[in-house]
Amino acid sequence: MSDGMEQLFEERLARYQATIGLEPTDRMIVGGTGSNNFAEIYAGYSRQEIMYDINKWMAAESKFAEDFPQIDMLRAGRIWGPMFESVGFRLYKLPGRDLPPNTDFQFVEGEWMKADEYDVLINDPVEFMMEYRLPRVLAEFKEKGSVRSYMAFLKGGMAFVLMGQLMREKMLNLEKKYGLPQPTQGAMLAPFDVLADGYRGLQGIMIDIFERPDKIVKACDALIPDLVNCAIATADPLKRYPIFMPLHRGNHPFLSPKQFDTFYWPPLFKAVTLLIEAGYTVRAYLEGDWTPNWHHWNEFPKGKILCDIDNKADIAKAKKDIGGTVCLAGGIPDRMFILGTAEEMRARVKELCETVGKEGGLILNGGCAIPYLTKPGNFKAYLDATLEYGKYDEAVKPKLKKPLATPAGGPVPGHPPTVITAWEKKVEEWGGVMGDEKMIRDPWEMLERRAFCWLHFWDW
Amino acid sequence: MAELTELTQALVELKKEDVLAMIEGELEKKTAPLDIVKALNAGMINVGERFAACEYFISELIYSSHIMKEAMARLDPLFEQTDLEAKGEKVVIGTVKGDIHDIGKNIVVTLMRNAGFKVIDLGVDVPADRFVETVKETGAKALALSCLLNLAITEMKGVVEALAAAGIRNDVKVVLGGQPIDEKVCEYVGADYYGPDAPAGVRICKQIYGQ
Repeated sequence: MSDGMEQLFEERLARYQATIGLEPTDRMIVGGTGSNNFAEIYAGYSRQEIMYDINKWMAAESKFAEDFPQIDMLRAGRIWGPMFESVGFRLYKLPGRDLPPNTDFQFVEGEWMKADEYDVLINDPVEFMMEYRLPRVLAEFKEKGSVRSYMAFLKGGMAFVLMGQLMREKMLNLEKKYGLPQPTQGAMLAPFDVLADGYRGLQGIMIDIFERPDKIVKACDALIPDLVNCAIATADPLKRYPIFMPLHRGNHPFLSPKQFDTFYWPPLFKAVTLLIEAGYTVRAYLEGDWTPNWHHWNEFPKGKILCDIDNKADIAKAKKDIGGTVCLAGGIPDRMFILGTAEEMRARVKELCETVGKEGGLILNGGCAIPYLTKPGNFKAYLDATLEYGKYDEAVKPKLKKPLATPAGGPVPGHPPTVITAWEKKVEEWGGVMGDEKMIRDPWEMLERRAFCWLHFWDW
Repeated sequence: MAELTELTQALVELKKEDVLAMIEGELEKKTAPLDIVKALNAGMINVGERFAACEYFISELIYSSHIMKEAMARLDPLFEQTDLEAKGEKVVIGTVKGDIHDIGKNIVVTLMRNAGFKVIDLGVDVPADRFVETVKETGAKALALSCLLNLAITEMKGVVEALAAAGIRNDVKVVLGGQPIDEKVCEYVGADYYGPDAPAGVRICKQIYGQ
């Protein structure tokens, strides 16, 4: 990386870290969205092309970075289609496959876990995955024991490694060539959302609230260690970027405040606390309207979390209620990007910079994303106006944060990352090894942990 | 009919086992199944009112529908086909083409049916011409378009234009609902109303039919 780009990268990253930390910065972050849907298709590629052709995905990001050099970070696209195809993942309809090539990918609601399967989930999650849920959600695994099902797991594992390499290449392209950091790395769902999204489904979980509430509580608690360990396995090892958490059923009015306080918040709080104590920050999308429940974010230590506020909620009220604890992102209605004028955009940015963002702690964004159908002129107006009106103190030069240490007992004390076949069993089967045991044990356990986390990749 | 009031109340209080037990009790006493259904409907209406008043939430709405479904599974075989046919004012509803999300739409459908509307639910990914055909066939005066994704905005505009091209734009009121919808989107689309939430959608349909 050229010195100039390295310096630009570090400046942008340090500014982002300081903004999340609610610390002084020189100016507001520009284009600081975690999901730049507009960037996916700006270069003229279809949604299918971005999803299936990694070269086009990278070219799309490069073109966007070149045409909008003011942006402070970039992440466009989320899914690499072939990864899903390798196992026949049934939770999404994808453009070009079961949707027209230029339609957004979409989640498929379903009951992928039955009501009487809580005990097996709680007591033997591997059995739950392998015997119950995965045969339902992975079409290629439906006939367990067939050659096709074995090949599905093999291909899925290979695709996972390949995808990791491709994502790394994409990130490095943005970092080295354009000085652009990532908005997030690694991801975790709220434990309740794991059940509500990809396990029981919405219908199922709502019935469970009334018919088996204790099972929900136990299942969420049982999920926490694996969710946290697997999130950290996918996160930035240098802990530079926040871990991404799209949050769904905390959206009012899915749950009453009492149900939110009983089922949704406690396991979420425990899981996020473990991430913070392991040295990470979190970027949480409060999808929908979280107004009646967002006060809970004040329970966290200050400066560790960035909450994206969706269009349905009032960002000024969010600032008042939780802006002293968490950094906020949002404020621009999606329809202003899509249907508005550059003048309207400038006015809205100015208003937000002079009010909600006046003391910092705000990253201007759409509703958790920049919409696909954004008019380029509106996006430019959004960037230019942020640069013009979002100035703080140019003498302030935030410094990169040193990575915080992981606790001595690991991110989840008492719960090391799950392995399915423990080393002790393996070495017993061999009757011991003749040389350096650690040299053989370490890769065995590394592969076991990654393989287990692969099972959780299909949670959503 | 004191027992049936208790049945209504049991549904309102979301006591499924009590509801099912009471239904058995009523059937043993030879209570007319239609009267039992009326008592249950009264309960669903009350649930809808509590939802509109923010006392109940989507969780309660879904669970009450679940209880109702189990109750009707017991009662349906006792009816002739036409006995239970909805007779209310018609509302055509669907998620527009390109969008397959239906959680919000289904909530609105539940509330509308509870409120006595005859709802023709076209499902998801519905093209404009299907909305137009259905409005023509049914004579519905209310057409509700639902979405979650931003891409639906253009599609909704297309539906309104298709109604105009078919010469029936003035015969039906168009109501929009969903995440991206607000006043400006409603104006852009050329719709008549937008509902910021599900109860608002029901109120608007009542207004359309002068209720």
